[in-house]
Amino acid sequence: MSDFQPILTEHIHQKECHTLSFYISVGGYSALEKVLAMSADDVIELVKASNLRGRGGAGFPAGVKWSFIPQDGEKPKYLINNADESEPGTFKDRLLINKTPHQILEGMIIASYAIGCNTAFIYIRGEFFKEYQLLEKVVAEAYEGNFLGKGILGSDYDLDVVIHRGAGAYICGEETGLIESLEGKRGWPRIKPPFPAIEGYLKCPTVVNNVETLSNLPHIINRGPEWFKSIGPEKGPGPKLFCVSGNVNSPGVFEEPMGIPLKDLIFDLAGGIKDGNELKAVFPGGSSSAILTAEEALSVNMDFDSLAEIKTMLGSAGVIVMDEKVDMVQACLNIARFYAHESCGQCTPCREGTAWLVKILTRITSGDGNSNDIDMILEITDNIGGLIDFSKGSFGKTICPFGEAVAWPVRSFVEKFENNFRQYISQEESVT
Amino acid sequence: MPLLKIDNAELEVESGITVLQAATANRIEIPHYCYHPALETVGSCRMCIVQIEGMPKLQVSCNTFVGEAPPDKKIDEKYDMVVHTQTELVKQGRKNVLEFLLLNHPLDCPVCDQAGECFLQDYAFKFGNAHSRFEEEKRVRPSEYLGSQIVINQNRCIMCTRCVRFTRQISGTGELFVQKRGYDFKISALEDQPLDNLLAGNVTDICPVGALLSTDYIHKNRIWNLHEQPSVCQDCSVGCNINVFYQKDRIFRVSPRENHDANGYFICDIGRYGFHRFEEIERMTSPMRRDEEELTEIQWDEAIKVVAKNLSDAKEKIVFVASPFHTNETNFMLGRFQKGFFGALPLIEEEGITYPSGFSINSDRSPNHRGMNDVCPSILEDMASEIDQQNIKVMYILDDGVDRELDQEWKEILMKMDFVVVQSYALTEVAESAHIILPGLAPFEREGTVTNDQGRVQWLRPSLPLKGKARPDWRIIMEVVNTMGKQELSYSDVGEILAEMGKCFPAYEGVSLFRLGDYGLSINGKVKSS
Ligand SMILES: Cc1cc2nc3c(=O)[nH]c(=O)nc-3n(C[C@H](O)[C@H](O)[C@H](O)COP(=O)(O)O)c2cc1C
Ligand code: SF4
Ligand code: SF4
Ligand code: SF4
Ligand code: FES
Repeated sequence: MSDFQPILTEHIHQKECHTLSFYISVGGYSALEKVLAMSADDVIELVKASNLRGRGGAGFPAGVKWSFIPQDGEKPKYLINNADESEPGTFKDRLLINKTPHQILEGMIIASYAIGCNTAFIYIRGEFFKEYQLLEKVVAEAYEGNFLGKGILGSDYDLDVVIHRGAGAYICGEETGLIESLEGKRGWPRIKPPFPAIEGYLKCPTVVNNVETLSNLPHIINRGPEWFKSIGPEKGPGPKLFCVSGNVNSPGVFEEPMGIPLKDLIFDLAGGIKDGNELKAVFPGGSSSAILTAEEALSVNMDFDSLAEIKTMLGSAGVIVMDEKVDMVQACLNIARFYAHESCGQCTPCREGTAWLVKILTRITSGDGNSNDIDMILEITDNIGGLIDFSKGSFGKTICPFGEAVAWPVRSFVEKFENNFRQYISQEESVT
Repeated sequence: MPLLKIDNAELEVESGITVLQAATANRIEIPHYCYHPALETVGSCRMCIVQIEGMPKLQVSCNTFVGEAPPDKKIDEKYDMVVHTQTELVKQGRKNVLEFLLLNHPLDCPVCDQAGECFLQDYAFKFGNAHSRFEEEKRVRPSEYLGSQIVINQNRCIMCTRCVRFTRQISGTGELFVQKRGYDFKISALEDQPLDNLLAGNVTDICPVGALLSTDYIHKNRIWNLHEQPSVCQDCSVGCNINVFYQKDRIFRVSPRENHDANGYFICDIGRYGFHRFEEIERMTSPMRRDEEELTEIQWDEAIKVVAKNLSDAKEKIVFVASPFHTNETNFMLGRFQKGFFGALPLIEEEGITYPSGFSINSDRSPNHRGMNDVCPSILEDMASEIDQQNIKVMYILDDGVDRELDQEWKEILMKMDFVVVQSYALTEVAESAHIILPGLAPFEREGTVTNDQGRVQWLRPSLPLKGKARPDWRIIMEVVNTMGKQELSYSDVGEILAEMGKCFPAYEGVSLFRLGDYGLSINGKVKSS
């Protein structure tokens, strides 16, 4: 296997690893003590220097995001821990919540301290009910240990943590949809500007960070930004949880350095393709990323920039592996259906376009395709979400990057596996 | 102020406004659906896209703000922002959005009430593709009632959410919501709270397409057959600005007219549907005289003579009853009688409502209470006791109209009179007590000015022709005054009376119909200087 010493998941195989006493026994909350002796600005600078990039999908530098929070205003500031994890093929945050919840909480307290927030939220996916119950206990423990509440560890810093359960919509993982939902409204992403850092939860400055992003913070504080940058590529470094699923022998979550070859993930860590089949295609970063052919998959490294170079993304690091038996047209329809179902429906292109794609793909798979359909699909995907740089956020044709999240994969299926589509269509055309 | 360039126009605009606002204010058309100036911006329809120099992607103009650029970022060394609304990229982008919007649209313009004033039809024609590439089945759903007078044609809805935002942000009643998600969306009203608030009708105006319709108007006429008259609502002292849509002698629709010094963008349903109550009434079309129990038609000449004689004989023991339902000019003319007492019936008041957005319906349901007090000689507070003390037996009444109900006190007062003249357009309870009825004009026939509770004088313009032998109320009074023989008044239209009014009441000095125009003038700021 790999000789990388896990950092975030170092202790997950130990008994009772989720408890406060266990966490403390392995040095937990020592980073918090250090942070409380620092100035908030110094914490932000330190995290900036580490080049920690967001693990929720967009890969935005965490320290830079925090520095957008206005420090002078009267309004309260909020931190939201995005634990909505609902990207297909993604199950890393769930593992962290179950095994190392205090590590997450410590990260939250550090981030909150840095941005000057006194109330932080955990927005947890509705289906994660056991995890929710666990977090309730963990938060209570933390209050008892004075890691939360008034005057944390004898300092003059106060922080409350509130857990909020989602109600089962994928779009509530998008940060502004999440904020609306947290405010008790329908989870409809907001038009930007204003950005959450200026007007987020209740129109107050707000930072949304992913569970895994936050989990890195105690380690960065304890071991320093130089150490962090030494793990993987310097511009997007650190330990990373990869979720491997699909047609592999041993699916699971693997903690490896950023930049590990995708080939190693699939063939070494996940035990290779099932039943001795050939690899056909891989989603490197959840179903919102552009799919890779086997050839691309065998040569790419799993980090933000390497994947961006071949026009896909690390996203949520949900690696979905498909073997030669997979019907790419059916798989594409399946993906399109998911997005049509989850589109919040505000934006014209996303609402109408996703449904249109499903209709065309359904027609193709049921044998009624025609030769215009392929160009049509490509055009529709372009009209929903042009191919743009995901890491720069949504400057596209819709309010939120969901538009791109549909356009990317669907387009990539058609472009990279056009023959599969042509087969469906020519069968039909030769019949008629 | 930032210097903005939109296409070929150079505009100095306020910092912080959006590109769409800047364009609209300067009559540059940027097609849009979800943006409405009274509502919070959502940026969802994606129709308002424009190209902005220095930005790689098209931007929604409704949420792109204009600000001062630092010196080194100016474009062509002077512009803070350069916007294109007509490039190929923009045109294609709009086509794509329109294509999406029309995918599931029934394209039933020939039977749609919105046709002729529909932004989907207009934009599709101007900016869209000629034919559809959509081969799939359309989303088809039945129409539904959202409230007792509002129907939604679900197939035509483009999900701009203006109507939903209206009920949340303007009326604050929140009846409407989006049901289901994505493609399956549906605008619905809460089961136990249908869209029946008093502002509900506005959603039919702000719906950019023919999805929301008032049952009051559905299939009754086509917009291109109707004349549109800008006027003022007469159903409360707010004085909302309206457009009256009529054909020959029938009104088909009343809709709000934007005026930020009066009503803003909206009107209430009392004013919107109020015209109906004048449709069924039996119109007074000839002067009448009461002989015992019978009312008989008489000639104008005779009626005026009888009235003038009785007034002269009363030797100033007369009460002239002004009316807040009549125009300033008519009330001012009543004042020309000069000798006598002036009074008014009690105000017609109902519950006043102020909505969260600030829109209000006033409890005073007359359009001109303030103006009446401004332009009449002082009106007696306690008319009843004055009548007793002075032993008054003659009364000349400007009738408030069909909304007036007489209370016991007034019934008794009227019974005591020997001679009552009523100027009215219908046989109201007040007119029933008259010895002579002089047929004046009904509300939508009148012309003149009214002054709302904020002191805004506005031009009330007629949309319906006068009926039978009815005459403008101010003219009737003028003829009576002249026949009494002590004065020779010779006004030929309301404009002349208005000018005279300005001489007598300095607050109105300088007010003219021309200066009132469509939006009126405030008399609080002392109108005079022009
Ligand atoms: C459609 C959509 C769904 C998303 N779902 C999630 C999610 O489930 N969890 C998550 O952490 N981020 C999700 N994101 C990304 C968030 O918007 C946001 O960028 C992220 O939470 C920021 O945290 P980070 O900077 O720590 O990565 C989603 C984004 C989009 C567009
Ligand atoms: S892109 Fe899609 S999911 Fe995102 S706001 Fe628009 S309609 Fe909703
Ligand atoms: S009914 Fe009209 S206003 Fe309401 S969402 Fe549909 S199109 Fe917009
Ligand atoms: S608020 Fe008053 S003036 Fe305005 S429409 Fe209603 S009744 Fe007429
Ligand atoms: S008007 Fe700008 S997106 Fe709808």
